[in-house]
Amino acid sequence: MGKTIYIFSAGELKRKENTVVFEGEDGRKFLPVETTDELMIFGEVSLNKRFLEFCTVSHVPLHFFNHHGYYQGSYSPREFLNSGATILAQAACYLDHEKRVDIARRIVCGAMENMAVVLNYYRRRGNESLVSMLSNIESYKGKLDKSDSVAEIMGLEGNGREAYYSAFDHITGGGPFAFDVRSRRPPQNRMNALISFLNSMCYVTALSQIYRTHLDPRIGFLHETNFRRFSLNLDVAEIFKPILVDRIIFSLINKKVIQAKHFEDGPSGGIYLQESGRKIVVSAWEERLQQTIDHPRLKRKVSYRGLMRMEVHKLEKHILGDQTYEPHISGW
Amino acid sequence: MAVPCFSEPPRIGGTLVWYFSICHREVWFMSHGIEPDREDDFLVMGRLIDENSYRRDRHSVSFGDNRFDIVKVEDGTLVVGEVKKSSRSIDAARLQLAHYLYDLWKDGIIAKGQLLFPKEKRRKEVELTEETRHRLDGVYEEIREIACMAAPPKAVKNRFCSVCAYSDLCWS
Repeated sequence: MGKTIYIFSAGELKRKENTVVFEGEDGRKFLPVETTDELMIFGEVSLNKRFLEFCTVSHVPLHFFNHHGYYQGSYSPREFLNSGATILAQAACYLDHEKRVDIARRIVCGAMENMAVVLNYYRRRGNESLVSMLSNIESYKGKLDKSDSVAEIMGLEGNGREAYYSAFDHITGGGPFAFDVRSRRPPQNRMNALISFLNSMCYVTALSQIYRTHLDPRIGFLHETNFRRFSLNLDVAEIFKPILVDRIIFSLINKKVIQAKHFEDGPSGGIYLQESGRKIVVSAWEERLQQTIDHPRLKRKVSYRGLMRMEVHKLEKHILGDQTYEPHISGW
Repeated sequence: MAVPCFSEPPRIGGTLVWYFSICHREVWFMSHGIEPDREDDFLVMGRLIDENSYRRDRHSVSFGDNRFDIVKVEDGTLVVGEVKKSSRSIDAARLQLAHYLYDLWKDGIIAKGQLLFPKEKRRKEVELTEETRHRLDGVYEEIREIACMAAPPKAVKNRFCSVCAYSDLCWS
């Protein structure tokens, strides 16, 4: 598995023979393309077609974020793993109501179980106030089996997440990071800004991993395919958001690594992470993605980023009628 | 989800014959366009060995659904060479090369085969016999049957799993 390169400064990205060079204010930097999986571009970067063509042959997707760290879009090289059979099977699963509902249910069930894993972790450390949220999540999870439409499952997912989010202030102690309610576009407080930013990192990471499998990121099962460019990455991210995004948020806040001073007001309302804050969050994100766990079946260590790819492989096998999809549930 | 059997029969090239001797699941994946992980260390190494050995001989010659690593003429006879990273799966390599010779034979070309193991500094001659031709006819039939299965054959661990570029997919 290659590296993810994050670019925060301004400069020019160029192809130089068979490598990528970034020319910024601090001089030239060579990026080894062979070992690079994706580029995340936050800074003001200029690039040309020759560079994009090189990204295509090297299979390196580019993801762009705006001034506030909002995801803007991706340059996705032409698909290179093409399997007509897989895409047909994926589409057939989407079109078959029962099969789609089954996959959507599995994803939400996995997401809720991972939410419970996170809350239980803090409960074990003496936070008894989390018991009621845990039982709420449990009861929504119990209703999944009886739900027979994707809209209903989405609704339960929303309920579960609401119960889960109501636990956040109990974990962080509120204060400068009081949560109140979930607000997007723009986020109304610091907690919402953190969630939005890290969620988008999670979506983009999942997208890059899907790109390295045979599935089509445009066909999701829980998230409606019709309204978005990509939706399968949102499905995959559901599983990982609690154990990656939320755990990072709690640890950054509770260890006071991220503070109120790392945020700023947006010009048209809302509150955003400042560049200094974004760098802290991104490095915590990358560090977590590189952490490894012992994979029981592969019999080797797998990073969390690799685990996301495994999740896509598991979906692929489910779709191909090989093995039923069981979402990854975190062990602690 | 059952994948429909394609009306177009699978293209039986050397790789499929090679995979057949190693793992039937690989045959199903490959015949459905599901390629192995390109970043797999063993695969990358194999590619490098292929690119960097026997540079003077001709490389990558297409013939039908096959791609021969090396084609040369020795003592007036055509020789097809297949470069392998190791002799670990020599039987599979023999069958693959015999398949090349069989395809050439069907076109009226008599050729000899050479398995090349550059890292081991070793080569092995392969000849086409009546018996291998018969064996191959059976193999083609089985490959077609595997390719027509609605789902991939179940994953079964074998001695090649540890070096297989499909292992992440199989054991995830």
